[in-house]
Amino acid sequence: MADVTGTTTDTGTRYDFGGDEFVYVEISPEMSLPAHFASLAITRRLREEALPGVEEICPSNASYMVRVDPDRIDPRDLVRELQRIEAEVGSAASEDPDFVVDTRIVDVPIMFADPWTHEVLMRFRDRHQDPSGTDLDYGARINGYDSAESFIAALAGAPYLVTMMGFVPGLPWCFQLVPRERQVEVPKYVRPRTETPERAFGFGGAFAVIYPVKGAGGYQLFGSAPAPIFDGAQEQPDFADEDSVVFFRHGDLIRFRRIDQAEYDDVRGQVEARRWRYRTRPVRFSPSRWLADPDGTNAALVGELDR
Amino acid sequence: MASHTITARTPGVFYRRPTPDAEPYVADGATVAEGDTLGLIEVMKTYREVKADAGGTVSRWLVENEDEVTIGQDLVELDT
Amino acid sequence: MSVLVRDPGLETTVQDTGRLGHYAIGFPPSGALDSYAYHVGNALVGNAPGAAALEAVYLGPTLEFTTDTVVAVTGAEIPVTLDGEPVPTWESVAVRAGQTLAFGQLAGGARPYVAVAGGIDVPPYYGSRSTYTLVGIGGFGGRALAEGDELPLGDAAVDPRAGRRVDEADIPEHPTTAELRLLVGLHSYRLTPDSLERFTSTPWKVTPDANRVGYRYRGAELEFVPREQPFGAGSDPANVTDCGYPVGSVQVPGGVEPIVLLQDAVTGGGYATLGTVVSVDRDRLAQTKTGDHTRFVPVDLDEALTIRRDRAGRLDRVRRSLA
Repeated sequence: MADVTGTTTDTGTRYDFGGDEFVYVEISPEMSLPAHFASLAITRRLREEALPGVEEICPSNASYMVRVDPDRIDPRDLVRELQRIEAEVGSAASEDPDFVVDTRIVDVPIMFADPWTHEVLMRFRDRHQDPSGTDLDYGARINGYDSAESFIAALAGAPYLVTMMGFVPGLPWCFQLVPRERQVEVPKYVRPRTETPERAFGFGGAFAVIYPVKGAGGYQLFGSAPAPIFDGAQEQPDFADEDSVVFFRHGDLIRFRRIDQAEYDDVRGQVEARRWRYRTRPVRFSPSRWLADPDGTNAALVGELDR
Repeated sequence: MASHTITARTPGVFYRRPTPDAEPYVADGATVAEGDTLGLIEVMKTYREVKADAGGTVSRWLVENEDEVTIGQDLVELDT
Repeated sequence: MSVLVRDPGLETTVQDTGRLGHYAIGFPPSGALDSYAYHVGNALVGNAPGAAALEAVYLGPTLEFTTDTVVAVTGAEIPVTLDGEPVPTWESVAVRAGQTLAFGQLAGGARPYVAVAGGIDVPPYYGSRSTYTLVGIGGFGGRALAEGDELPLGDAAVDPRAGRRVDEADIPEHPTTAELRLLVGLHSYRLTPDSLERFTSTPWKVTPDANRVGYRYRGAELEFVPREQPFGAGSDPANVTDCGYPVGSVQVPGGVEPIVLLQDAVTGGGYATLGTVVSVDRDRLAQTKTGDHTRFVPVDLDEALTIRRDRAGRLDRVRRSLA
């Protein structure tokens, strides 16, 4: 039996079928910004082309997935179209100064080392790599930081890109926009927790997430967001205005801003009064510019929020 | 004396106790009334009580605690 | 015009064809797991395709009707009664106001479907009436039915009529060992060739952890090919860089207990997937129960597409015969 049914192109991109209804495309087995930019560019072009039979386009970190109606397009023909688009825009996404993404940057307050995730993570120490400390202590140590404080400073020190949405509705997978040598990486829990508080700020592999709702979870717990990212009843103005139950979109830029308990409580008060709004600014993001000057580009992007 | 057998209505894992440290719902030889809880079946992460659909005396367990059971499987025999 | 829930059964939910189009923001499709039984039920009671019906599992609900209507039970093999009198399944049945529909002990399969003329008229949420309990949306209050619920019925039945019956040959059988056809692939290269072979030769037993989110199986241990994990994937050999999961895909966290993801599953994550069950065979899977056995049979894309066309043709033929 053949162990891989798909095909691989010269670029190393792997095309395969997820049953009769999905085409799965893996740009790279490892996460990298160029791999993500290729996924971003290809899925944006695919959306513009509106090919018949393309039902849903799901960009992800270093891959993407298309739900296909095989009664309208043979999945093999779709793969040929995707390979054409990859040739046209895949590598150009990182190299061509003309490839830009019109998106927004969002200010997302986070209380690190908050009491709520602390209480939960201490109850699940038996499922953790290091039962003796906290998740922040552990993350700091294995990433070479001398203290939880300096680790938090790094986590909040550069913006993130939402490279994938999903797992559960509204959950953003956020990849920090820093060169590889500065990227934080942490393992998931040895055994997943049966509990994670709503709006917990977690980290697993190379990705930061906010949990939209409470539930099981295996990511390291570093903090808590006071503001909702999922609003099933669309009570908050941001959600009502957009007529959406989820706040984030693929391609959003995020600044996780460290806040204290007073600001946390203040935001909670606004949420309870149903008048919370995220601070957002429209920005134009150029992958090639970022790759040429990460820190300068980040400063300009974050600067938009504080203008 | 007649006997009556109580069967599983769902598949799952059968428990004789409400929690691992608790006493069994009913002891061997105990007398139960219709509607009494005899055990639990865990399936799809939910627990459903197994109720006696007749009164009687517990004469014989036909499954062990924590056995996986199927629908219609005999669980316990009552002398009625 | 309503149905009163006298006994909810076990995890009985309102379902339709599903909430399609929002996978990219993390909404799984939800919807009836056994799509054939669901569609045929609607055809029997004269509903347009897509009307909401009830999906039960293992135990049927007990339902009292406040109005004269027509119902049909399809799916699992289970005795059904109306005011205590047996009524047939896979056949439309007239119900008078005040009558009660109840279920006996399941004899085969796992999930009965109850279609009612006009459909269950709960408000659509993101384009669907399907229940998605994880975040509590859709269906009746975003949850499984509870005793005392009153389900509104729609008035859009196209042609409600009792006495429509599905041919014996078009009623699926539900053996206690199911064969699920799948396309091997995705991250199947992460398993050793021996393990991949073992995956398709093992009769897997359905564990008690088997619901609308996914089915977990036991039966063999599978091994991953050792490697230095790529950046972003995490340290466990079962992990890959987080990606989308096709509905029906199979993952093996820890190398034991493969899980087939179903219509209420997470939409993505970091476990290696080794293939995807073809969409039609999710119907078969939905009719397996804890303790049953399952074999995974590899097929190629051509076969998968043929299976799909055959099913569509069969459903068309059944619908025409009932029209």
